[in-house]
Amino acid sequence: MDISERLNLNSTTTGDEIEPFLEVTAELVQKRRSQGRIIFDRFMRNKMAIAGSLFLILMFVLCFLGPLVWRLDPNYANVLSVTNTLSPPSLAHPFGTDDVGHDTLARIMSGGRVSLLVGLTSMLMAILLGIGIGSVAGFYGGIIDNVLMRFTDVILSIPLYLLLFVLSASFTDGTPKSVIILIAIFGWTYAARLVRSEFLALKEREFILASRTIGAKNLRLMFRHMLPNAAGPIIVNATLLISTNIILESVLSYFGFGIKLPDASWGQMISDGQNLFAVDPWIIIFPALAIFLTVLSLNLVGDGLRDALDPQMTER
Amino acid sequence: MGRYILRRVLQAIPLLFFLTIFIFALIHLLPGGPEAVLFNRNITAAARANLRASMGLNDPLPVQYIKWLTSALTGNFGFSFNTNEPVSTVIGRAFPQTLQLFGAALILALFIAILLGVVAGVRQGTLTDYSLTVLAYAGIAAPVFLIGLIFQDIFGVALRWFPTSGTQTASATFTNGFAETLDRLWYLVLPMSVLSIAFIAGWSRYLRSSMIETVKQDYMRTARAKGVGPVRLLFRHALRNALIPLVTVVALDFGSIAGGTAITEGVFAWHGMGLLFLDSLDRRDYPVLLAMLMIGAIFVIAFNLIADILYGVLDPRIRYA
Repeated sequence: MDISERLNLNSTTTGDEIEPFLEVTAELVQKRRSQGRIIFDRFMRNKMAIAGSLFLILMFVLCFLGPLVWRLDPNYANVLSVTNTLSPPSLAHPFGTDDVGHDTLARIMSGGRVSLLVGLTSMLMAILLGIGIGSVAGFYGGIIDNVLMRFTDVILSIPLYLLLFVLSASFTDGTPKSVIILIAIFGWTYAARLVRSEFLALKEREFILASRTIGAKNLRLMFRHMLPNAAGPIIVNATLLISTNIILESVLSYFGFGIKLPDASWGQMISDGQNLFAVDPWIIIFPALAIFLTVLSLNLVGDGLRDALDPQMTER
Repeated sequence: MGRYILRRVLQAIPLLFFLTIFIFALIHLLPGGPEAVLFNRNITAAARANLRASMGLNDPLPVQYIKWLTSALTGNFGFSFNTNEPVSTVIGRAFPQTLQLFGAALILALFIAILLGVVAGVRQGTLTDYSLTVLAYAGIAAPVFLIGLIFQDIFGVALRWFPTSGTQTASATFTNGFAETLDRLWYLVLPMSVLSIAFIAGWSRYLRSSMIETVKQDYMRTARAKGVGPVRLLFRHALRNALIPLVTVVALDFGSIAGGTAITEGVFAWHGMGLLFLDSLDRRDYPVLLAMLMIGAIFVIAFNLIADILYGVLDPRIRYA
């Protein structure tokens, strides 16, 4: 009695998760599920992750299907009308207009198509490249690690600006593809060093020795056992990369890559509005808000994915 | 470990040598060149030839490279095309400015990011955690110039707490060094805060994520059972094991010292390396660019080496055989 009271007291005051012993019931004896299935099920039970996914889908719907409802032409300039340039949000233009009379809402939609595409695909490419290089370097170590990491040092030592300047003279390719590839080429270094640092620590852990003992091959060790344990920093890096890349896209268009005026992208709306911020803050606030909400909801998805991938996470 | 460090330092020499070739080639691939950008259009052909010769642009590129390398090895990095000063003078003026701004911002960011990261990681899924998450992504998504302008507006113009631009009070005479330092710190506050926001936001996310994993480990429960207090538990037992991703990213961000501060420097008229880099790029100031990029490369290599050493300190199981 005395002991159980004290136990109760402890569990309520410290808020620790003392889990009750479970009775083995029919519900608990489940079919053996695949790793992918377990991860998916865990993800679907995470409310914030679902909210993030839904919001992200909403963002895509707004950008890709929105123009069917909001029919103003994003590139229709109306410089001559005084009331229509740099106007604050109104019924006719819910997000206001910019200095040449473009409707900001329509441009958020058309710009979002570019920014979401460039941000997401370049992030995916950079992360995959980073995971590949980082996991090989961290797992094998020695001379392989040395060569790959010195290569990383070289890439890190070349400022993107310098390379863009050089490239802008020799070729100007107006497709988003060149932008995505250029951003990815510079974006993988953080992911590679993060994955490598996690792998350096993970490969010395007991569970890796255990899997090796029962005959797990290198590739299986790397991608089945170690990578899920390194998911945390990769996912953070992926989320941060999206906003970095959306901004970078506008830097690239300044150098003549990718989209050209009057086409819009979120990054470009911000950099173009930079000088007009004092006159009309709205032209920056809305694209910045769009980036913020996209990154925030991606973060919720990423956190849910991280929790779902976490082997320490108990089924609840 | 000593042998490993020595080996890495020795490796840095051929790496830097390779980088000199690569960077030299890249710089000379810049469109235009000093002739198109820097020379007055109305000068005579003879004057033009004179200028080219004085800048050493008439030699074939390999010869130019060898000349640059041999004099650079003796510590002479040539003269700026733009101001005709020795490169060491130009960089000697800008580098301390950036070092102050960058160093102060990174140290401030490190303290705050560790605190916020630990709190958010331990309180995962609570209101505190979600508020910090929203704030962090606001800091990441808001453009740096926008944060800079807002800070200038609030703390400089409206409240008049801090000066909005420059590095110290112009034409002021200081009675002693202490007063001058105080004046410089005064000017440092706003740019330092603005620069640190993005770092705080990013770094706290990395630490939060690794803290979440660390606090669930068995040894944490053991330590708690042995009666280790909460602060010691978090900052000694958990933090040490959660630091590896943060160390990686902080070292990478430290490495960006040569150009990573340009926007903040622009907003606050802080004449450091970031602005110098953009200016030299615009003017095709080859000697200054070369020296700056080599300094940047040394920082990248040095900080990644420091990170690799710290991994071994934080987790003694990590060995580089």
